[in-house]
Amino acid sequence: MTKILEVNDLHISFHTFSGEVQAIRGVNFDLNKGETLAIVGESGSGKSVTSKAIMRLLPESNSDIKNGEILFEGKDLTKLSDKNMQKVRGKDISMIFQDPMTSLNPTMTVGKQIIEPIVKHQKLSKAAAKKRAIEILELVGIANPEERFKQYPHQFSGGMRQRVVIAIALACNPKVLIADEPTTALDVTIQAQILELMKDLQKKIDTSIIFITHDLGVVANVADRVAVMYGGKIVEIGTVDEVFYNPQHPYTWGLISSMPTLDTEDEELYAIPGTPPNLLHPPKGDAFAPRNEYAMKIDLEEQPPMFKVSDTHYAATWLLHPDAPKVEPPPAVQRRQRQFLDIKEGK
Amino acid sequence: MASNEKLLEIKNLKQYFNIGKPNEVKAVDGISFDIFKGETLGLVGESGCGKSTTGRTIIRLYDATDGEVIFNGVDVHGKKKKQELKEFNRKMQMIFQDPQASLNPRMKVSDIIAEGIDIHGLAKTKEERMNRVVELLETVGLNKEHANRYPHEFSGGQRQRIGIARALAVEPEFIIADEPISALDVSIQAQVVNLMKKLQKEKGLTYLFIAHDLSMVKYISDRIGVMYFGKLVELAPADELYNNPIHPYTQSLLSAIPLPDPNYERNRKRKSYNPKVHNYSEGDNVQFREIKPGHFVQCSEKEYEQYKAQYK
Repeated sequence: MTKILEVNDLHISFHTFSGEVQAIRGVNFDLNKGETLAIVGESGSGKSVTSKAIMRLLPESNSDIKNGEILFEGKDLTKLSDKNMQKVRGKDISMIFQDPMTSLNPTMTVGKQIIEPIVKHQKLSKAAAKKRAIEILELVGIANPEERFKQYPHQFSGGMRQRVVIAIALACNPKVLIADEPTTALDVTIQAQILELMKDLQKKIDTSIIFITHDLGVVANVADRVAVMYGGKIVEIGTVDEVFYNPQHPYTWGLISSMPTLDTEDEELYAIPGTPPNLLHPPKGDAFAPRNEYAMKIDLEEQPPMFKVSDTHYAATWLLHPDAPKVEPPPAVQRRQRQFLDIKEGK
Repeated sequence: MASNEKLLEIKNLKQYFNIGKPNEVKAVDGISFDIFKGETLGLVGESGCGKSTTGRTIIRLYDATDGEVIFNGVDVHGKKKKQELKEFNRKMQMIFQDPQASLNPRMKVSDIIAEGIDIHGLAKTKEERMNRVVELLETVGLNKEHANRYPHEFSGGQRQRIGIARALAVEPEFIIADEPISALDVSIQAQVVNLMKKLQKEKGLTYLFIAHDLSMVKYISDRIGVMYFGKLVELAPADELYNNPIHPYTQSLLSAIPLPDPNYERNRKRKSYNPKVHNYSEGDNVQFREIKPGHFVQCSEKEYEQYKAQYK
């Protein structure tokens, strides 16, 4: 597998009136060619900031990449000039935003908005670009593309608009596609269609996808690998089976147990107590420790390193330290771990 | 737990907007169902199917175009004196979706919660009012220091708790929760759902729970109704609906929910729904029929026989 994108020790801070908010505190991950990496986490965990940093869309006035590098095909994106970055953005790396209502320009026809990146990056003539745009519209499943090409965003429904946004993002066959909660604003049936469309297109043009969401159901559907973020760090990363059936970090346990499945009969749902940390004053130890019933003394004092569970699976929790006591995960997680063994044996 | 006593009867409720104009919308088009005392009825469907409008019409935020909502034997939409309306407003309360927009940013939390107490004169002295506010804050897991703060000082989950405290302030019997957890983070959703369940047990509340997150709806509801284009297409006990969905739309909706289980997701077969499958002809009497005790489906006479036959 070839790595297409590498994020190394990324630190990002925002300067606000109340002080420095350390939104990203040392994030590392790789993206392989053709795979889908899902990043999950609550609001404020830093998943969108990470993706915007890759696209260099963070406001320069108040944000600051303090440390780290983002390597795309060997180039460090954090060091590129604005002009060179423009050659990457929309061509090699493109992005789908959450809200299809606000990410399209209401005063431009849909067609014009799709042509824009094609003319800019592929230097095609207007006529050729139009032909290409109509092809893409057809590819993303919009009926009557010639007619639709001339229409404005308000003439499209929410799901159709998101298809247009996807069409724009895919116009130049990007190598990396960042999808920031692309289906959160959509209904389940439309969401299912969009997810199918994205998977289908990924096969056709062989893009790598970074999929940001907080919906674990969607993650289970699309992802090859999953990274769980909390308090500006990745606390667990592994293949989708490893993270869903054999989670190691207590935060992942909490996330998974707090979502009812269709056969949850328990009287009370497992709820993670408390609220996410304030990154204005980031905690000294493990950011999750104050909400963690399994927390040990060291969790409050020192940040855990990434412990290796398997070649593809890593988690940052002191519980994986050889000297740590053995703990029992919540019942929902234990059920999943049994399922994990079954799956392994089945293979 | 749910009893057999009807708290609310909704009969052929209709809510049209822009009546007589070319852009007339039949948001709710003749739906009928009952809500029993102490139960949670979940209402699901896609955006625009009329589930929120149903909730808002039941509580008389909109005046119904046609039909009746009978609450404790009295028609909600009947002619009412101011006093009667006030009494009714006390019995039925609402929790809104957006915890940002549903709290007045210029009011203190104590005043937001006590607004209902003031209107209904439930507290005689200032002290009593404050005690009541503190008690409510504690009920929803906040504390008395929070009373003098403004909404912007709270997180989404906390704000939703304030919304719940406000609804509870007037000691209602029935609460309409319109997507109360959709705007919250996963870890906070479970906290709010647990709180709502706990309050239901303690105070014997009845809920109408409107949502589109089907696994959460299944978890909290005793019975679930599925809406499609202003009509209720299926209504059944929660387990029954998930195990034996009859209406093709319900089947399609259920097949579209992604579950946090990669193995299940790999083998998922999605069904799509096309209203043409019914092939209704002109004279078909399409109505809400009971296929099995407690399981209702919108169907024609022919389909009724067919559904009954496949139902074993």
